[in-house]
Amino acid sequence: MIKVKGERLKVKGERLKVKGLLGWIILSIFTFQFSICQAQSNLTYELRVGETGKAAVVDTFPGTYAGEKVNVSIQLSAISGQASDSLDFVFANRPMPELERWAEQVYAYTDSEGTEWTVWRKNDLPKNRKKRVLIQNAYGAFEQYLHATVDVQRSRGWIWWLFAGLMLLGTSIYGGYIIWERRKEKDLTPVEQETLRRKRMGMRRHYGSQLYLWLLLLVLYAPIALIAVFSFTESKILGNWTGFSMQLYANLFTGKADAGLNSAIWYTVVIALVAAVCSTILGTLAAIGIYNMRARQRKVVSLMNSVPMINPDIITGISLFLLFVALGVSQGLATVCIAHVVFCTPYVVLSVLPRLSRMNPNTYEAALDLGATPAQALRMVMLPELWPGMLSGFILALTLSVDDFGVTFFTKGSGGLETLSTFIYSDARKGGLTPELRPLFTIILLVMLTALIIINIRNNKQENN
Amino acid sequence: MRGLSIVVRDMSKVLQIFSSRRTWAWPYIVFMALFVVLPLVLVGVYAFTDIDGQFTLRNFAKFFSHSEAIQTFFYSVMIAVLNTAICLLIGYPAAYIMAQEDFRTPKVMAMLFILPMWINFLLRTVATVELFNMCGLPLGEGALLFGLCYDYLPFMIYPIYNTLQKMDNSLVEAAQDLGANRWQSFWKVIVPMSMPGVYSGVVMVFMPTVSTFAIAELLTHNNIKLFGSLIQDYITTTDLLNYGAVLSLVLLIIIGLTSFFGDHDASGEEKGGMV
Repeated sequence: MIKVKGERLKVKGERLKVKGLLGWIILSIFTFQFSICQAQSNLTYELRVGETGKAAVVDTFPGTYAGEKVNVSIQLSAISGQASDSLDFVFANRPMPELERWAEQVYAYTDSEGTEWTVWRKNDLPKNRKKRVLIQNAYGAFEQYLHATVDVQRSRGWIWWLFAGLMLLGTSIYGGYIIWERRKEKDLTPVEQETLRRKRMGMRRHYGSQLYLWLLLLVLYAPIALIAVFSFTESKILGNWTGFSMQLYANLFTGKADAGLNSAIWYTVVIALVAAVCSTILGTLAAIGIYNMRARQRKVVSLMNSVPMINPDIITGISLFLLFVALGVSQGLATVCIAHVVFCTPYVVLSVLPRLSRMNPNTYEAALDLGATPAQALRMVMLPELWPGMLSGFILALTLSVDDFGVTFFTKGSGGLETLSTFIYSDARKGGLTPELRPLFTIILLVMLTALIIINIRNNKQENN
Repeated sequence: MRGLSIVVRDMSKVLQIFSSRRTWAWPYIVFMALFVVLPLVLVGVYAFTDIDGQFTLRNFAKFFSHSEAIQTFFYSVMIAVLNTAICLLIGYPAAYIMAQEDFRTPKVMAMLFILPMWINFLLRTVATVELFNMCGLPLGEGALLFGLCYDYLPFMIYPIYNTLQKMDNSLVEAAQDLGANRWQSFWKVIVPMSMPGVYSGVVMVFMPTVSTFAIAELLTHNNIKLFGSLIQDYITTTDLLNYGAVLSLVLLIIIGLTSFFGDHDASGEEKGGMV
């Protein structure tokens, strides 16, 4: 064994350092690409006019980004190639408007032949979220003569330059630091250097595979990060940054949010609690029953138990919908609760069963022999053993119920009952989400993240002890 | 927990009349018969009847001559197969790396992959659409596959990760001692051992994908309709309810076949231990 002076310290720290530097470099390349390349982009479009009708939808260009400035200049000219003129207007960081709201911002323009043209931005949400430039002949004539060029110049706001600059600064400081550390290695003997080199080789092997995981997580979290970031701005539409604001959070907590959203939150909570409590009781009793069954009965009931789990939610939803239609039951809160109990209970059964098989089966009998009533035996002997399984089943049922869309959609009836999922769905179909949903789910994510961190710290402590 | 225990105690008083704990499952069995088995039977009943409740095969005849339904059906199955394949291709390496790598906190890594599932999947889908818009990418089949993969990837990673983690590493070492190189030991030892996880992952991704609705509409701006959305359209129209039942029955058959080929006991356990 060759012992290297300060080896442990070096190798431990190095792993982090090199990773950090890699991260810095990738991030700074990314931001520079973002702020430099895009700033130069000139998008030029040929505008062709439709042959019939007054309006011609001309071309589209991608929506604005946060902190971006877009200059649009439109050049109109007759195709005969005579005179041409240009018209400029600027828009930046506005919420994406409907066409009507832009009606006052219509630009009138007369070309060399005396024909009047009107120019405005059109935005038809939600079918096509790209911004459109619309050019229309006011008199409905001369369409064939129009030849126009839209010159879109986009530039990043100063904040991106600041960010990129900071990234560069960080990279150079970090890189310099690592090079400085490496220089010290010259003091080591050749054998020590060789050992260190081998250690590094061993570590480097894993960088690629770890990078893969992190990239996957990056993609997985990108949409969520979008929600979280845009919860701090007042914009009605996700993707438009209108400056930092906590207004949405304030709205959410003071009940100023959309009335539909408030009732959806309450219904979601009520349904989830009812479903979780009912399915925990039903599932625990069922688990005890199933555990004490003979093998063949057990197999049949377990198979039945797995049916709602295998069934996709659309099938569960539709079959229950048909049941309620056949029975002539009017659908509402009660039917949704029943439906949620249906698909939650099997999971409770599955989380309680392992606890039962871990438990000494004789303790319950012993309690009965010692004079306890079955109720006492259940409460004092079985419950203390079973409750971790019941708790995890309960939490699982809560999660499943809150997250469910398919089953709720088919069993909620037409009485205006909405849970969060169905509310989001109808909202998204109408175009655009209620903005207060963003802070709501940001808070949920943060709570989950905190719980995860706490659990992790606890586990680490237990392992250390 | 105290409140819960009181409720359970009261219920158990009622149950005292039963001499055996075996009977404690009866309420659940009755509940299941009423709300799981009966509704599924009803799907079949509705499929074979007309609006007046008379037996008819016309609904099936309509399905086989309804080219839109048949095309949508095959398209949905194709999308589901593609999505499952993509999830497997992306998810298997991820699960393998997670199980192999000596992370200081492997649990956190695994949890990080499930955490997005606590955000409502519709909201995530809308955010994905917005992300595509911001990047200037077109919405269409590509967006649909991305969105589906994004939604169901954790379902693929987790079962595979579980089986790989439980695998006895000494088997791999033994294979290497016996002269297998890394590639051989991977294909001949690790992959066959992880097949139960792969099966349940495939089932858990394929089944929700083939029956998906709502996601496709949002991801493609209603341009692409999947079988789930078709069923939804028919079942919510009162006159066409029976035809909708036929479509559901077709879907049910596909689900049945999938769970027949997949190992459903394993899938149930993986799912149960998942969150």
